[in-house]
Amino acid sequence: MKNPERGARGASRREFLKTAGAGLGAVAGVPGAAQGFDLESFFQRHFRELTQEDLDDLLLRLEQKYSKQYRKPVQVGAIGPNDGVVFGYGLDISRCIGCRRCVYACIEENNQSRDPEIHWIRVLEYEREHAVRSIDPDEGNPFYDHDLVPAEGKLYLPVACQQCENPPCVAACPTQATWQEPDGIVVIDYDWCIGCRYCMAACPYGARHFNWREPEIPAEEINPDTHIIGNRPRPHGVVEKCTFCIQRTRKGRYPACVEACPVGARKFGNLLDPESEIRYLLEHKRTFALKAELATNPRFFYFYG
Amino acid sequence: MPSQGAGAGGIGPGGPRAPWVLLAVVILAFVMLAVAGGPLALRTERPYPSRPLGLEPEPALLPPPPIDDEYFPCEDCHEEESADPKVRELDEHDNIELAHGDLWCLDCHDADQRDLLHLSDASPVEMAESWRLCTRCHAKKIPDWRAGVHGKRTGHWRGPKEYWTCVVCHDPHSPLFKPLEPRPPPKRASEIQLRIYGEQEETSDEEP
Ligand code: HEC
Ligand code: HEC
Ligand code: HEC
Ligand code: HEC
Repeated sequence: MKNPERGARGASRREFLKTAGAGLGAVAGVPGAAQGFDLESFFQRHFRELTQEDLDDLLLRLEQKYSKQYRKPVQVGAIGPNDGVVFGYGLDISRCIGCRRCVYACIEENNQSRDPEIHWIRVLEYEREHAVRSIDPDEGNPFYDHDLVPAEGKLYLPVACQQCENPPCVAACPTQATWQEPDGIVVIDYDWCIGCRYCMAACPYGARHFNWREPEIPAEEINPDTHIIGNRPRPHGVVEKCTFCIQRTRKGRYPACVEACPVGARKFGNLLDPESEIRYLLEHKRTFALKAELATNPRFFYFYG
Repeated sequence: MPSQGAGAGGIGPGGPRAPWVLLAVVILAFVMLAVAGGPLALRTERPYPSRPLGLEPEPALLPPPPIDDEYFPCEDCHEEESADPKVRELDEHDNIELAHGDLWCLDCHDADQRDLLHLSDASPVEMAESWRLCTRCHAKKIPDWRAGVHGKRTGHWRGPKEYWTCVVCHDPHSPLFKPLEPRPPPKRASEIQLRIYGEQEETSDEEP
């Protein structure tokens, strides 16, 4: 055990676990409850309190674990936010045709469980006439199945994490396992998440997903370029969601969904850069946010191109 | 390294003219590897000086896939001055279905130099630079495209990127975007729960 001493947050997590265990039968996937108790990750400090040395150790330990598990070299990085960058996303709903190329590009890039299936992006289908008046993400149909899209008279709305400026999920987390980074990305420390799913209940967009079981990803499909608070393989019993492809975007690349979109409906950039495409569309296009009345202030903007 | 964007980019399979697009990406990646980080050379010889896009720095353009050998060079068949300007049913080129406003072939293709396209002032445009032709009638789209808001850019939001040119997405002869086969829908929650609980007795006492 490298790090037996516990921080103040560690104590509060233990307290919470006790009460949660007594009061809430429904806390599923408490690490150690269902699977073998992993002392090392249980006593690990919160991500933001790790010293450089602890972090290096942790990354190395994870790389070894995953490389063995998936029988190929897996890198686990921890690249931090860039100065002067706050990410924003734009989605042109007048172009989206509902083909779901983004959904699967995301699954592959971000090592989502194939079975049981987890999709960070849901593409919702609406009657075009209704949708013109108001688009409610609780109403669309994600299960549409046509031979060809777009289907006549339909409109499509892809929804994933809205990377809110005021994220209700962060406020709901009892263990501070989820927080907002300086570049606006809301992340999750999978070693601190206790799987209580309060954040899922708090998210108005249904954007958080729970690993009910050990996620399954075929070794040949693992994306070996991972980030510690991003797309590294997740353990059983934790919550996960879109991170704007933190492992790509912090290195300057576009998210995988942007590159996969055949109609070019997906836009991404730095909100603080007046020359960026995201600023251009905020200035020149009609934009809206989902459930704007909740004042979550998404940094995910829908627009009409 | 500019090769990252095109090479690793997840250009969706089955997109419009997907095999062509993929081929183009592969070719582009090779070209970029060949110039090893230098300025992106799409074509080495240019018979006409190309006008700059007016962007700093000049972006890399993702050109349309090269035209099939069977049809290019066009001048193999179209010798000079053989053009017939009449709008008519053609005996050749029956793979082309024209559905673009009420345009006719020679509004875009040059009658005398068939390997080229032309603008309204008759100035020539290379096939690989066909986006310049589009600007002639769709000038309103160009600012959005330059800003990366109409069409698509791949690569880096900060760093080298490729601009997809118009005909990568729009068939110039029938430019409406063609419908695609969607990827499979998500499973319903009930099906997923069956996968989770159906075969795992030890967790079945916990309600989903
Ligand atoms: C295999 C020979 C062949 C090749 C290669 C070929 N064409 Fe043609 N093309 C023809 C023939 C023959 C006609 C005349 C058909 C008719 O009059 O009914 C024609 C007609 C046309 C026309 C209609 C106007 C006119 O001149 O009568 C256009 C425009 C045209 N071709 C463009 C092209 C372009 C652009 C290419 C190269 C990308 C090309 N063709 C390559 C054989 C060819
Ligand atoms: C709106 C302008 C426009 C019109 C009108 C047009 N073309 Fe084209 N055509 C193009 C462009 C641009 C390309 C190059 C496409 C590429 O690079 O993939 C092209 C490519 C071609 C090619 C070679 C590639 C292919 O698709 O087979 C042929 C042959 C051709 N055109 C013939 C014709 C004929 C015949 C007509 C009339 C029936 C016609 N075009 C009308 C713009 C036009
Ligand atoms: C000579 C003028 C001209 C040129 C050159 C031209 N277009 Fe068009 N385009 C038109 C007209 C006219 C229409 C029909 C507009 C309408 O129906 O409102 C049109 C319509 C379109 C549409 C909408 C399709 C639809 O059915 O609504 C697209 C997309 C398009 N053009 C793309 C292109 C592209 C890409 C190029 C370059 C390869 C191009 N155009 C070059 C004149 C032109
Ligand atoms: C990434 C693919 C992509 C690229 C690249 C692209 N477009 Fe489009 N464009 C679309 C889609 C999707 C539509 C929606 C209409 C449709 O279904 O065809 C569209 C629509 C249009 C229209 C019809 C009017 C409208 O806004 O719906 C025009 C005109 C047009 N594009 C011109 C261009 C021109 C000119 C270029 C190059 C400068 C270009 N496009 C590049 C995907 C693209």
